[in-house]
Amino acid sequence: MLLEIDNITLLYGRIQALHGISVNVAQGEIVALIGANGAGKTTTMRAVSGLRAVSSGRVRFDGVDITRMRADLRVIQGICQSPEGRGVFPGMSVKDNLEMGAYTRRDTANIAKDMEHVLELFPRLRERFKQAGGTLSGGEQQMLAVGRALMSRPKLLLLDEPSMGLAPMLIQQIFEIITEINERDGTTILLVEQNAQQALSRAHRAYVLETGKIVKEGSGRDLLDDPAVKDAYLGVA
Amino acid sequence: MQFNDLINGFPVLTVTGLTQGAIYALIALGYTLVYGVLRLINFAHSDVFMIGTFGAIWTWSAFGFDANSPRPSVGEALGLIALAIVVAALLCGFFAMLVEVTAYRPLRARNAPPLAFLITAIGASFVLSEGMGAFTNRRQFGVPAMLPTEPVVSLGGWSLTPLQISTLAVAVIAMVALDWFVQRTRFGRGIRAVAQDSNTAALMGVNKNRVILLVFLIGGLMAGVAAVMSDMKAASTRFNVGFLIGLKAFAAAVLGGIGNLRGAALGGILLGLVENYGSAVFGTNFRDFIGFLVLILLLMFRPTGLLGESLGRARA
Amino acid sequence: MDGERASALRQIFVRAIGGVALAALVMGGAAACKQDEGGSGSDTAGAKVCDLKIGFFGALSGADAGLVTPGQQAAKMAINQYNAEHADCKVSLQEYDSQGKPELAGGLATSAVNDAKVVGMVGPAFSGESETANPTFQQAGLPVISQSATRPSLSEQGWKIFHRGVGNDFSQGPAAAAYIKGLNPAKVFVVDDQSAYGAGLADEVKKALGPLVTASDKATDNQQDFSAIVTKVTGSGATALFYGGYTEEASPFLKQLRAGGYKGTFVGGDGIYDANMLSVTGNADVEGAVATCPCAPATEAKGTFVADFQKEYNAAPGVYADVAYDLTKIFLEAIGEGKSTRADIQAFLTSYSKAGAATGVTYKWTDKGELDPAQVRVWAYVAKNGQWAPDKEIPKA
Repeated sequence: MLLEIDNITLLYGRIQALHGISVNVAQGEIVALIGANGAGKTTTMRAVSGLRAVSSGRVRFDGVDITRMRADLRVIQGICQSPEGRGVFPGMSVKDNLEMGAYTRRDTANIAKDMEHVLELFPRLRERFKQAGGTLSGGEQQMLAVGRALMSRPKLLLLDEPSMGLAPMLIQQIFEIITEINERDGTTILLVEQNAQQALSRAHRAYVLETGKIVKEGSGRDLLDDPAVKDAYLGVA
Repeated sequence: MQFNDLINGFPVLTVTGLTQGAIYALIALGYTLVYGVLRLINFAHSDVFMIGTFGAIWTWSAFGFDANSPRPSVGEALGLIALAIVVAALLCGFFAMLVEVTAYRPLRARNAPPLAFLITAIGASFVLSEGMGAFTNRRQFGVPAMLPTEPVVSLGGWSLTPLQISTLAVAVIAMVALDWFVQRTRFGRGIRAVAQDSNTAALMGVNKNRVILLVFLIGGLMAGVAAVMSDMKAASTRFNVGFLIGLKAFAAAVLGGIGNLRGAALGGILLGLVENYGSAVFGTNFRDFIGFLVLILLLMFRPTGLLGESLGRARA
Repeated sequence: MDGERASALRQIFVRAIGGVALAALVMGGAAACKQDEGGSGSDTAGAKVCDLKIGFFGALSGADAGLVTPGQQAAKMAINQYNAEHADCKVSLQEYDSQGKPELAGGLATSAVNDAKVVGMVGPAFSGESETANPTFQQAGLPVISQSATRPSLSEQGWKIFHRGVGNDFSQGPAAAAYIKGLNPAKVFVVDDQSAYGAGLADEVKKALGPLVTASDKATDNQQDFSAIVTKVTGSGATALFYGGYTEEASPFLKQLRAGGYKGTFVGGDGIYDANMLSVTGNADVEGAVATCPCAPATEAKGTFVADFQKEYNAAPGVYADVAYDLTKIFLEAIGEGKSTRADIQAFLTSYSKAGAATGVTYKWTDKGELDPAQVRVWAYVAKNGQWAPDKEIPKA
């Protein structure tokens, strides 16, 4: 297993946000976490990226216990998160934003190559290359956030709500790129999504969260066909 | 009101105002950098500057120069000034980092409320200035004569002394170098990233504490440069020289837009000029009155200062 | 001399943040001192009281210490001499280091009056601290003689305990003006630091010089950058400048004046008459600067004072050393005559009229505590080769 989340709990002040979550992600997989608002998806993500300290349980990555590791050091281990709400640096150009993704890397030549790769994936970013991140449209910012995360050459890419606030056509496009990153580069992806339809059809496996607990897990396809999931998350199918 | 003094003295007032403004600007950079990254007003910065004024004097006295020494040759003077800049900058950089590590970092680690930071900031300021006061027996120290005082460039009523030229040159070099560092280098990107969104910066692998330490170091280096130039201009120093000049530099940072590097430079220059012109017209007893009145009026109409808030956003 | 040394702005800071804490400290200190009193205070009449103390109040550290420590050394010397002759019943010097700051003076004054052994006080040295401390001394009936507080208003407060061992600013101002007139300047520029001392002195000089003063400006406490004033001075064509204020600002001001091209004479009051003015400004720039002082050169003091001081401290006596010596000896004379209470010593001073051993001045006070005007002398000193050289006694107008 590349990522093992073992029975973690997490408190926001006095409110318990996670009640013993266990998630496994194998090398090369796309794994999705789905659930309603406040189910604990983003909190789980933050526990993995290190923005939030867990109260109990363990997080292991690539054989290393990272439960108490600082967020910036996890990036060096190979975890990179594209945060919820995109987190584009508004005052920095698209170029600087992408270079921030490669902040921990020193291999200048490869960084340039990866930058070219990202610009091929997202041609819009090439058009906006010198523009400040804050002036981009929502879709462009999402592309920038994903592209920036790729710039760290992560072993594990954490994507938090990549489709949030995007037009349906753009959602389709973002998920195609996610699949492409996974298939072509072999990057393992842990995905948090409200758009369960897209997430489950792209993911190899998925977990369903409710009020800080996992209530179901299985392959993407199985869950797509599960009547309870259909009812709760896929609307009237 | 004496407009004659303003008209007759305009060239000299402008040049000396620019020089003093350049010193304000260099100090203002330290306030603005720290504010940009931490949203914290580092009151101790003025006393870090004060330590630099002593660093320069100690350097010169190590070479046998005190207030009574004859003026060295120009070449020798330039060497001594360069050396003093290095010593003062390193000394200020060290103390600035010391303040961060001892006064602010432990509070951040415990999620202290903003008021606690304000009090430790003021506390650190007093510790440094009163500590130096005790250490130097609160004495006033004269600055050895370095550069010749005769103007070297004269055109009409306008003239520049070697000190004015070197102060402006050093300030411009320091500010251009800083701008380049923040805009063009990897560490500079890290500073801007933490300033704009420190959580996301951490997700990119930026070590926030290291960036903060770096920001204090840079602010200290700039204050050290300012300290040497201020020493030569003011001709004396004491343990409490930081207070007023620090307040002015802080005002300059706010004037230009706190958190904005270019704003700090602009604010410093502007304050230096306004003070000089105001003193000429209304009398020097109105100097601070005019300076701060302009600050209040300007903030009334542009609450975020001349160039607006936020580090690195001026470009966008 | 005046003592508003601390930056006004910093004071505001301290008051805003630590006012309550400071008040608590001062009160705590006062309470602690009260406990020290013991029962040894007021003895029955007749019996000789020993171990009495004479206080010395002023800036023993800080920027202005140069004006005060010579006097403290001289006072100590006077007491040592007395004790050598009265080994059975000694007197000691109790020092109160105010750093020249009015905000520290109140607390020190309280601890002084609470020490019943303190029966007389030399000082406070500066005017600002006198204004805070003297009401406390007045309340406790502790007689004080200041060697150098020259603010004229000090004698107008109804303090019976107040005595001045020198002339006040009103005596120094006209003398400084007379000195400047002697230089035959075409125009005179007057600057002051807006302190009660500096502004008061500058106003006296302006009044006495009349139309000779063509321009004036004001500096501020702790000012470092004098660009605008320097521009005005060099543009005014003045060949003499009077500065009312202290060394702390006068020194950088003078240096910046010279750097700005001012070639005329720089004249100040006793606020710049100290060693720091010379060492901080540096010989090259301070050379030729003039300081007036309502004090005769201590180095030209009478009797064995200069030789004794030289022997004791291996240095020439500094400013006000001779005055402080004589004033201390007046208190010692009273104690030697068996006066052991504050009231007795106060009465002793009221009727006193004798020439001092070091100054030669006959100490005799008006009912307001001013030195008899006929006794006031003002000297001019010129900075020469890193020394304040006595130039001349300025003749009375």
